[in-house]
Amino acid sequence: MNNNWMRRQRMLGYVFIGPSMLGVLLFFLIPAAYSLGLMFTDYKLMNPNVKFVGLDNIVRLLKDDMFYKSMKNTALFLLAVPVSVVLGFLVAVVLNQKIYLKKLLRGLYFMPYITSGVAVAFVWMLLFHPKQGPINGLLRSIGVDNPPGWLSTTTSSMFAIDIIWIWFLLGYNMIIYLAALQEVSQELLEAAKMDGARPGQILRSIIWPLVSPTTFLLLITGLIMTIKTFGIIQAITQGGPGSSTTILSLYVYQNAFRYYDMGYASTLSWALFIVILIITALQWVGQKRWVHY
Amino acid sequence: MAIKQKLSEGALTKLFITIVMLLLAVVMVIPFLWMISTSLKTPAEVFEYPIKWIPPHPTFEHHVKVWTGPKSFGTYYLNSLKIAIVGMVTATFLSAFAAYGFARISFKGRNPLFMLYLSMMMVPPQVLFVPKFLMFDWAGIYNTHWALILPGMFTIFGVFMLRQFFLTIPNEITESAFIDGAGHFRIFFRLILPLAKPALATLAIIDFSWQWNDYENALVFLIDEDLYTVPLGLQNFILENTVDYNGMMAAASAGIVPMIAVFVIGQRYIIQGLTNSAVKG
Repeated sequence: MNNNWMRRQRMLGYVFIGPSMLGVLLFFLIPAAYSLGLMFTDYKLMNPNVKFVGLDNIVRLLKDDMFYKSMKNTALFLLAVPVSVVLGFLVAVVLNQKIYLKKLLRGLYFMPYITSGVAVAFVWMLLFHPKQGPINGLLRSIGVDNPPGWLSTTTSSMFAIDIIWIWFLLGYNMIIYLAALQEVSQELLEAAKMDGARPGQILRSIIWPLVSPTTFLLLITGLIMTIKTFGIIQAITQGGPGSSTTILSLYVYQNAFRYYDMGYASTLSWALFIVILIITALQWVGQKRWVHY
Repeated sequence: MAIKQKLSEGALTKLFITIVMLLLAVVMVIPFLWMISTSLKTPAEVFEYPIKWIPPHPTFEHHVKVWTGPKSFGTYYLNSLKIAIVGMVTATFLSAFAAYGFARISFKGRNPLFMLYLSMMMVPPQVLFVPKFLMFDWAGIYNTHWALILPGMFTIFGVFMLRQFFLTIPNEITESAFIDGAGHFRIFFRLILPLAKPALATLAIIDFSWQWNDYENALVFLIDEDLYTVPLGLQNFILENTVDYNGMMAAASAGIVPMIAVFVIGQRYIIQGLTNSAVKG
């Protein structure tokens, strides 16, 4: 083998990553840079005279009540993540016991995650139907006289979306926890049992701390994924009633493709990026602080 | 005697937990069951309570309505299949290619480039929608399937996931081939790809499900109805048939049932792939 051949082989690295790099350049890097530029313009689709407006869009954002409202709605939407993480943990712990039909059960809990897109959101829309839907039918039959209006009232709509989202994420969290539970030493659990620890104690004081890296990972990835989503909300409520389900990512979409206010939409989208950046920074800090092994 | 009793007690607990978990699992899949059941009912039976899970007068007319007529789901299906399959095949192959480069070749600038790659995962799609819309319009591919197919050929997650997998393949295997004079191309096609079949299958299935379910990009980049994918067609159907609940559920079934099939067939791969990329990532 000569050095020339070795060098040529190393250069092949660029050939291997080349096509993929081109895609990242065309569909991520260049658009991202373009968007940064748009942030400082008043570009509207209907108005061909684009002006450089400096920081006007940022000032507008800081004074925009709807921006703050959308942040609040986003926070309410994100509540679904910790709930689904805890539920996923509990289901995983039970499925990790000696039980029958383990594989079937795992599959059933996981099904919503892989099969659902917008289609299933429409199913939920009918399940939540305030007057005739089966959910309120059930509630009435067990004696709830005034069941919630779910997607139809401004106070309950975000929570109805949260329920759909918890249902959707739960299976994924469960699957990841099931893998993490494989790593928990059985001897340790046996020893704790011998020492007379109750199941609740074992769960809280041994298993939960041991899987804390997984909990942390699921929280962060779940939050980031959730904050980028707007499809199911656009499909079933379009941000309503009123603006009660207009989360930030949907507000970006509305500004861009309903009002064609491209400059302002770009500014909002970078606010979304900053929120993601903060969550990611939390990950770096938190990994050291809150994760106990 | 005591041991026997203890054994049967264990089995009883096991059975009890299984039944409880099964009941909860049924709650999880109720939306799917209700959807299919409703799609086979008559309009008057949709909201009857208590729910009759087995339709008393089963009818296929709603499914027929969805699949025939001027706005048939057949068109949407072909569009979705075309976009998802071309995207899936190309994305899987290109990801494997790039992942090999990042995992196995030490070229200058590899690590900074990989960091750049990963950092792009943080950029939300909302940042990219407007510039992509303007770029696609300029390039003449706005409102064509290319606007979905071309970006769909690249997946950063896929590169990341396959790189993780390639790193688990022992170095000795490729190194000895390298010393024998096999170049990277031969090693990639002859050694790595066959070894990576399960990982490739995982990525292909996950990527297909993403592309099939992708509503947001289709919403932004397509206008013409005859270009619609299944999620957009479904939305359109619902906007035009606001009170035809049976039809809605028949249409929703058309979108969901193929994914249930993909899930049942590929469950093993999907679960393994997601677990690996999360736990080892």
